[in-house]
Amino acid sequence: MRKRSQFSKEVLNKMQVKLPALSVNEGTARAVVTAFVAQLDPGVTELADIKCAVSEAVTNCIVHGYRHSTGYIVITVSILEGRAVKIEIRDRGCGIPDVRQARQPLYTTDAAGERSGMGFTVMESFTDCLRVTSKEGAGTTVTMFKKLTDRDPL
Amino acid sequence: MAITNGARTEFVCDTVGKTLTVYIRGEIDHHTAVSIRQGIDAMLFERRPERLVMDLSAVGFMDSSGLGLIMGRYSIMRELGGELVVYNPCRETWSILTLAGMERIIRIEFPPDHLPPTGAGVRRGPGASRATTRTPRTPRKVAQNRKKEKDA
Repeated sequence: MRKRSQFSKEVLNKMQVKLPALSVNEGTARAVVTAFVAQLDPGVTELADIKCAVSEAVTNCIVHGYRHSTGYIVITVSILEGRAVKIEIRDRGCGIPDVRQARQPLYTTDAAGERSGMGFTVMESFTDCLRVTSKEGAGTTVTMFKKLTDRDPL
Repeated sequence: MAITNGARTEFVCDTVGKTLTVYIRGEIDHHTAVSIRQGIDAMLFERRPERLVMDLSAVGFMDSSGLGLIMGRYSIMRELGGELVVYNPCRETWSILTLAGMERIIRIEFPPDHLPPTGAGVRRGPGASRATTRTPRTPRKVAQNRKKEKDA
């Protein structure tokens, strides 16, 4: 885990995508973010980690944030100075009453047992820094940072 | 028998004796997990196998929805008095499974010629990693560590 302050504030490139909260767009979100990050030539494992973290965040928006409503998910990806990526995923859904509790491994609001409760844990493990801000009734923003390993010059 | 849903995920069930093998192809996320779950469950309750094998060889991506899918099938199989085997997950899928500590609960099998992806580069669950990196908190241990540093 790194601190947010360890990442540069200088943005080299930026992309914003707005998608309706449909479950079919989970795959779309992964593909779009992967395509944008590809310009940094990330490693296979790093790319898999980013894909998975994005998928978890977007799934959360659809399954939890927009549980009782419909709306849009806004994904902002920034390429930062020093081979780092910042991914921000925002919804205007119902929000999380207790973020600390929601981030606990295996914590789930779904009693039926088809959801594992590992979403935030996966995001935390597969990125270097995770920040979750939420306001009940206003929505949730998940911000993830990932530092990619340096590539040797040819 | 083949059931396809969309372009990315398909599964084939064949019952050999008492074993039901499900081949999943493509990506497992919250969207695709719904139809995979329905397909497997329909087969499970129709054939009541003693052993369910989920073949993940052709799964290129899986997130925590896949964990939910596997855990759900695991509890159904336990209720039916059978067992669940997860077969040949790729390295990325394996790292998600171990992150949740699933390898301790569920049987994960690999082809005979395949070395399981253990060792370096394999992530452990959040609890496991924390346990190894945690600095000693008790005053005695802190004092011991300081002494060690001084000596060094």
